[in-house]
Parts: sequence; structure tokens; C-alpha cells
Amino acid sequence: MLETFKADVAIVGAGGAGLRAAIAAAEIDPGLTVALVSKVYPMRSHTVAAEGGSAGVVQAHDSLQQHFDDTVTGGDWLCEQDVVDYFVSQCTPEMVRLEHWGCPWSRKEDGHVNVRAFGGMKIERTWFAADKTGFHILHTLFQTSIRYPSIRRFDEHFVVDLVVDEGRCRGVVALDIATGRFVLIEAGAVVIATGGAGRVFRENTNGGIVTGDGMALAYRHGVPLRDMEFMQYHPTCMPGTGLLFTEACRGEGGILTNREGYRYLQDYGLGPADPWPRKKAMELGPRDRLSQAFWHEDRKGRTVQTPHGSAVNLDLRHLGEKKLRERLPLICELAQEFLGIDPADAPIPVRPAVHYTMGGILVDGRTASPLPGLYAAGECSSVGIHGANRLGSNSLAELSVFGRVAGEEAARCARTTPRVDTATLTRQAENAVARVRELVVRSDGRERLSTVRKEMAQSMENGCGIYRTGPEMQATCDKLAELRERYRGVKLDDTSTAWNTEWLNAVELGYQLEVAQAIAHSALAREESRGAHQRIDGFAQRDDVRFLKHTLARYGGAQAPGIGYGDVKITRSPPGTRAYGAAGEHAEAAAGAAK
Amino acid sequence: MAGWWRRNPYFVWYMVREVTAVAVAVYTLVLLAGVVCLASGEAAWNGWLSAMRSPVSIAIHAALLVGMVSHAWSWFDIMPKTMPLLFVGGRPVAASAITRAGLAAAVVAAAALFALAWALRP
Amino acid sequence: MSESGSKAARVIEIEVLRYRPGTDAEPVWQSFRVPFLDDTSVLEGLQAIKDDLDGSLSFRWSCRMAICGSCGMMIDGVPRLACHTFLREFFPGKVRVAPLDHMPIERDLVVSAEDFVHKLEGITPYLVPREARTVEQGEYLQTPRQLEQFRQFAGCINCMLCYAACPQYGLDPEFIGPGLMALIHRYNADSRDGARAERMELINAEQGVWSCTAVGYCSVVCPKHVDPANAVNQNKVNGALDWVKRRAGLKGGGT
Repeated sequence: MLETFKADVAIVGAGGAGLRAAIAAAEIDPGLTVALVSKVYPMRSHTVAAEGGSAGVVQAHDSLQQHFDDTVTGGDWLCEQDVVDYFVSQCTPEMVRLEHWGCPWSRKEDGHVNVRAFGGMKIERTWFAADKTGFHILHTLFQTSIRYPSIRRFDEHFVVDLVVDEGRCRGVVALDIATGRFVLIEAGAVVIATGGAGRVFRENTNGGIVTGDGMALAYRHGVPLRDMEFMQYHPTCMPGTGLLFTEACRGEGGILTNREGYRYLQDYGLGPADPWPRKKAMELGPRDRLSQAFWHEDRKGRTVQTPHGSAVNLDLRHLGEKKLRERLPLICELAQEFLGIDPADAPIPVRPAVHYTMGGILVDGRTASPLPGLYAAGECSSVGIHGANRLGSNSLAELSVFGRVAGEEAARCARTTPRVDTATLTRQAENAVARVRELVVRSDGRERLSTVRKEMAQSMENGCGIYRTGPEMQATCDKLAELRERYRGVKLDDTSTAWNTEWLNAVELGYQLEVAQAIAHSALAREESRGAHQRIDGFAQRDDVRFLKHTLARYGGAQAPGIGYGDVKITRSPPGTRAYGAAGEHAEAAAGAAK
Repeated sequence: MAGWWRRNPYFVWYMVREVTAVAVAVYTLVLLAGVVCLASGEAAWNGWLSAMRSPVSIAIHAALLVGMVSHAWSWFDIMPKTMPLLFVGGRPVAASAITRAGLAAAVVAAAALFALAWALRP
Repeated sequence: MSESGSKAARVIEIEVLRYRPGTDAEPVWQSFRVPFLDDTSVLEGLQAIKDDLDGSLSFRWSCRMAICGSCGMMIDGVPRLACHTFLREFFPGKVRVAPLDHMPIERDLVVSAEDFVHKLEGITPYLVPREARTVEQGEYLQTPRQLEQFRQFAGCINCMLCYAACPQYGLDPEFIGPGLMALIHRYNADSRDGARAERMELINAEQGVWSCTAVGYCSVVCPKHVDPANAVNQNKVNGALDWVKRRAGLKGGGT
């Protein structure tokens, strides 16, 4: 029943990072067989939904140092500074490479690539392809990957486990969704590139496939998940569905107003309101600050009410119809189709929703995890560039830069790793298959899958939202323990094998519950406020003495995860005050004078 | 796939468009016959002219006119789909503008031809 | 949107064409009753069925915002994205949901995308640079107007609605089809590309543009306004010119 495929490099996930890794591995050594495994066709991967753009320094008055500073400050100093240095130096070459592969970047009249302003970025350095940047990057990478005959795709194959032998990752076990058959893919190195875990929250911008699969796979094999408490709330999402209205709306000059039409962000340390637009101020502040301001404004009763909860106004009317159609066509479509609003005529109601998982699989600056042979890149990984809050347009750049690194490193590793006996790996794989099959053949159990999933998502929203308190986080931790227990009693309606998506969802929910636990327990243990982790129970300040540290969540089997800490690599930017608006300008002027 | 074109009103209109091409072909044959008659001498030509004046012929011509007009309309309707993007002043020209321009040109051409025929009538 | 209608949940009947290999000899209709609001999509209706009524209903979906291209299906006989179609449109009647036409059903609303993906791999769907350039030399220059020549054709999300809409593809599955013809044109029309000659052979082949009879329905159902019919029919002219050039002994394939 179990087929075996022998690859050199196996890549799990075929979004931006996975495709970039596959191309890098194929380029570095065309003789290697690269297995690219994805539970969806590559062009369905969630990279497709990224809108605004990707960072890369190009302007004469910009510098790598300034991109570094914006990133480290934006991350509230929880970044690995040596990794950030490497990252900012590689962004622009990667963006150029995408251009050479055909990515239709928006252009200036002279034919050079255009850049736009983005939240928390001091200078315009966001490359964009209208407001469908992720879509174009993904399709460019997918189509380019077709050039390389050594890339063997396993489309619509769902990875259910890693095989680990003698302390090394040796491959993956995957379910062929269409047939229900399993395949063991042996490999000298494995790259995980499965994206984030935003679907563990109720209201989120993520696609249905963003279920933290790869994080859970690594975590179960003892690899720590780092900084999982830092979940990014994007401030401008559609009430109800959580669909995203890109930050580029504000980069192009859009404003946020409350029910009185007042630009409320000036009340939260981001002002003054004018002149506008102005970098690193007001609507172009970082995402954590903007989402937090919404929370306060809502408490004050100054938001507007919609059938799906309170909202503020994203006002784009002054940009004019022509610019809106040219720069933000997808936003216009979304507003029109889903809300019946033309952004040229009326403001769009928006509220924060979970958007991005800053934390992830612990890897070093070369994407290697502590488990030999296992690499990770993109949103599923924690390579150390986002810290406590990611800046918009750093994630598409990340998947390009570190996707390439992961592909190259995995290829090198695969060439030097001797193979082991297939029989040992097959036995392991068969055990994994039996565990997964049990979900379908189980005869007892009365729990409904969707009930457990919905309770998890609601509990995460209650306990790990924009502002957090100890008792609420504790309640979420308790609830997740209960749900993991109840999960063992889930009974599926569908007992077939071909295209049994309920089965798939059940395996995903297993992943999600464990990743959710890592998030909640990491959050509960961090007794300070930093970036996207904000507490209002006596820990409202940043505490560099106790918590200038990375959280490391270790898998505890059926028990709660163990929480430990790791050092933060500080090279040349000591923790300072994270200020935006006028305060930020003063701080920068002072720092400039000091130099 | 048998009878596929009846499944969707869009396909029915497509079939109508294709069928009206027959009207164009038939009218071409009628005119061609006229030219042949003209070349064959006065008797043949007069015979063709009187055939044209018969009630049956007028009914057929009325039907052909409807077919021709609808064919012209549908032809210009799909014209934007058959040509590369047009730019005027750096902005792409909308498909509906191309269709309207085509229809206007057809109307002007038909009117000019009619005026010419009217002016030259015996 | 009516004021009162936006809040109160109403109930709509959704009929789904089911096919479970091994269980159903042929596809059968199954009816469900689902509560909905004014902004509930057909996709959310199907999710409600799966969550609360019958977990065995299978369909593809992901982004919910009409960009990933997963959830194409026949909705009341028209190929549409389920995330982008709202139940209110059909109320108080029922809505019938079936898998995309012209593709083999794998299970319920899931069709095989294999033919599409296989063809995609064969059309040189990537940029073959007209002139080599290193990363250090920076980007190729391309004016906004040159970008505009192919921008709309680069917007295809591979949802395959146009394949379900194309009667010619239904009659002859060898036809490369509207979406991929648009992709071929996307690269041919890119000022940076140099592989036009190679792709012109596909365009001029029996399964290329000449399989198209200009029905035009592909462009009507396209959710991203790619206008594949335009790409195909433009290339009838290009294909014919290319053929003439070749016959005249001139170098074919150029612009």
C-alpha cells in the first residue's frame, strides 16, 4: 500500500518559499531530484493573496542601514540582527531576479521598477505589482519552476509526518488526496515551507489551507517553535470574513477615521495628522500600533457598527477614481463585490483581523533547524527577521531570500548525507499511516469536527487577541487542553478514501490544536508587552531585563508545551524607544545628531 | 455535447450570429447572379430586375436585411476581441468604444452608399 | 441590499451534484437547506453544509477572495467562483451547484485539473529573456505602456472557468483552450521575452487558435477580466501573418 519515491531534496509546501527553494536547489545542482510536495496546486498557495508588495532598497537616498533600522525597530528589538543584515542585503537582488523571471512589477515612466510607501518604512522601498504582488510572485515562481526538469511535483499531496532516523530528518510521508494512497518520499534533506497558522483564530485574513501543518510536523519531532505569541493583527480587514484591504491603501494616501470622521490615530502617539502622507506616522505607522489604536477607539464607543461587529472607516475617496483603478484594482473589486461599496464614492468599513504568524520553526540564519537535515523558510519558520512585529512587505521579501537559502542549503546537505536503509524508514512511515487512518476507521467517538475547530478559533480570539490578560490566556490554555482531549473523540461523517476532505481537515485540526497551544502558552509566559504581544494586566511595559529573549515552545506530547527562552542576537542596534509620528522624528533627529 | 448550444442563452445568440452569415452569403449570390445576367445581355438583365421586384423577392430581401443588420451588429460587437489593445493618448481604448466606432462607420458607409445610389438613380 | 434583509437569517435550498466514487454509480442531486445573510457566499453555504449537515461533501477552496482560483463550479449552469457568488442572488428560489463542465469529476464538486496543468507545462509558460542580463546589471526596462500590452493577460488565476465555458473545449479536449492561450499571449506580448517563435508553433497548431470559433463566452465568465477570447482571436491574425511569412520564405515568428 505504501509507495516509495527516492528524492534528494523534499520540499513541503509550494507557495513562494517552497517554489523559490525548489528553483534554488535545481539551479545549484541539476542532478538532484527535488520533490515538491503540496496539498494544493502551487498556484493556490496562500502567497497568492499577498497584496501590497515586497521590500528592497533601490532609491539613492535609501540605504540597507535604514531598512535594517526600520525592521529592527518595527520588531521591537526581538530580531536576530545578523540575520536582518543578511536579509536586507539580499532583498533587492531577489526582487531583480523575480523581474528577470517575468514578474510584472509596476513601472515608472522611464521603465524602471516603481516603489511605494509602506507602514513602518522610513523610505519608499516596496516593490509592487499593482495590488496583486503575491499573486504575481507566486505565478512567476510556479511558471519558472516548470523550466527545471529535476523538480518533480507532488500536487495535492498532504504531508502527514516526517521520517526521522538516527537523529536526522530523512523524508516525509504524504497522502495522495485524490486516491487516498500514501507515499514515502525519502530525501537527504527536507525543507518545510508550509506558511503560517492564522486559521487557528476566528477572524483572519488567511486562506483555508493556512493551518500550521509544517510547524506542527517539526514541533512533534522536537524542534522548538520560537516566538509563537506574536500574532499579527492587520488593522484593515473586512468585518466578518476578515478579507484583507492592503496596507498599500494607506501607502497610496488612504486615511482611517472614526464614526465622527476624525483621524483618531493622532490620539495614540502617531500624530500629528498633517502633513499627509508622511512616512512612519499616522496611517503609515506599524500594524501592531494601528490595531491597538482600533481596540481603544472601540472601547471609547467611537467606532461604526456593522452586522459583523464594530469598524472604522478606510477612506480612499480623495485618491480619485483613476489612481484607485490603476494602483488598487483588487481593493476596488473586493469592496464592490463583497460590500457593494465603490471606494471612490464611500469609505470602506474595516477592523483588525489575524494576518500573520511572526513566530515559527526555530532555524538559524541559514534556515537550518536543530534537527539535522530539516530546513524551514517563509512564514512557517522563525529565521529571526520579524521580531515581535513584522513590517508589511518584509514577508514576500523573506520568502524570496530565505526560500533561496533553504533550497541551496538543503541541496548541499543532500549531496553529503549518506542514505540509510529503506526498510527502517518504511516501518516508520507505516506507523504514521496507521495513526492517520485511525481517524477514519475509528468506530467510537461523538465529537463533531467543526465544533472543536470553532471552539478553538473562538478561544484563541478571546485569549490571544490584540490585548491580553493572564486569566484570559489561562482560560484559553485550559480550553485548548480540553479540546485536544475531545479531539480524540472526533467522529467523521466520511469514511471513504478518495478526496476525503473531512479526513484532511481532521488531520489539519490536530496540527492546529498543537500550534494553538504553543501560541497560548508562549503568550501566557511572557510577562511584558512588546510588539504584537500586549498585556493590560500589570505588564503593560516592555521588560528588557527579563524578556529581551526569544520564547521557545517545546512539544510536550499529550501535555502542555514546555516554555523556555533563547538569547536575542544584538549586533549594533541596542534596544531603544520605539516611537512613531512626531516622537519618532525627534528620536531619529537626536540619534542622527549623536552619530 | 449534443445540443450544447441550447443549454445557455449565450450560446443561442452565438448560433444566431453564425447563422446570419448565411444571409450575407445569400445576398452575395443574389448580387453575383445580377452581375452574370448583366453580362449575358439585356433580356437576362431585365429578367433579373423583374425577378427582384416580385413579392417573394422583396420578402426574401427584407429577411436578408434583418440578417445582415444583426450580423453587422454582432460582428462589431466581437471586433474588440479580435484586435490588439489600442492606445489613444497613452490610455487603452475601451471595448465598447471600438464597437460603437465600428457601428458608426458601418452606418455612415451605408448612408453614403444609399445617397450615392439615390443621386444616380435613373 | 434591503435594510431588514441584511440582518435576519433566511433559509435557502442548495442542490449539490454529488458523486462518490465507489458509492454512486453516477452523479446524483442532493438537497440541503442552509441559513444565509445578504453577504453569505455560495462557498460559505457549502462550508455550512460540510460543517453542520454532511461532512462528506467535498470541494476545493482556500482564499475566499477570488484570487487563488480553487472554487470554480457550475452555479445554476454558469461557471463561477463560489466565493464570489452570493446566495441572495438566488433567493427565494433554490440554487444548483455542480462540478465544472468538460472536466472529469473526481468526487462531488472536485474535477480533475490534470489536463489543464499538463498543458500549462507544455506552453513555455515562462520568460525566455530576449537578451541575457545579470542580477548586478539590474532590471530590464519596461515602460508602463509596454507593461499594459500584457498586464491583463498576466491576471489569469487558472480557475478554469473559461474551460467549462468553452464549447469547443467540450467538443475537443485537445484544444489548448482559452486560459492557456491567454498565458501564451501574455509572454509573447512581453517586451522582455524572446521565445515568441517557439510559442507561435503552438498557436498555429490544430489545437491552437484555429480550434476557436469565437463563441466568446470564456471572456464573459472570466472573474478577473483577462479576456481570453481577445488573446485567442488576436493570435488568429498573428498566426495567419506568421504562416504567410513562413510561406514567403521570410523569417517567421517575429513581430
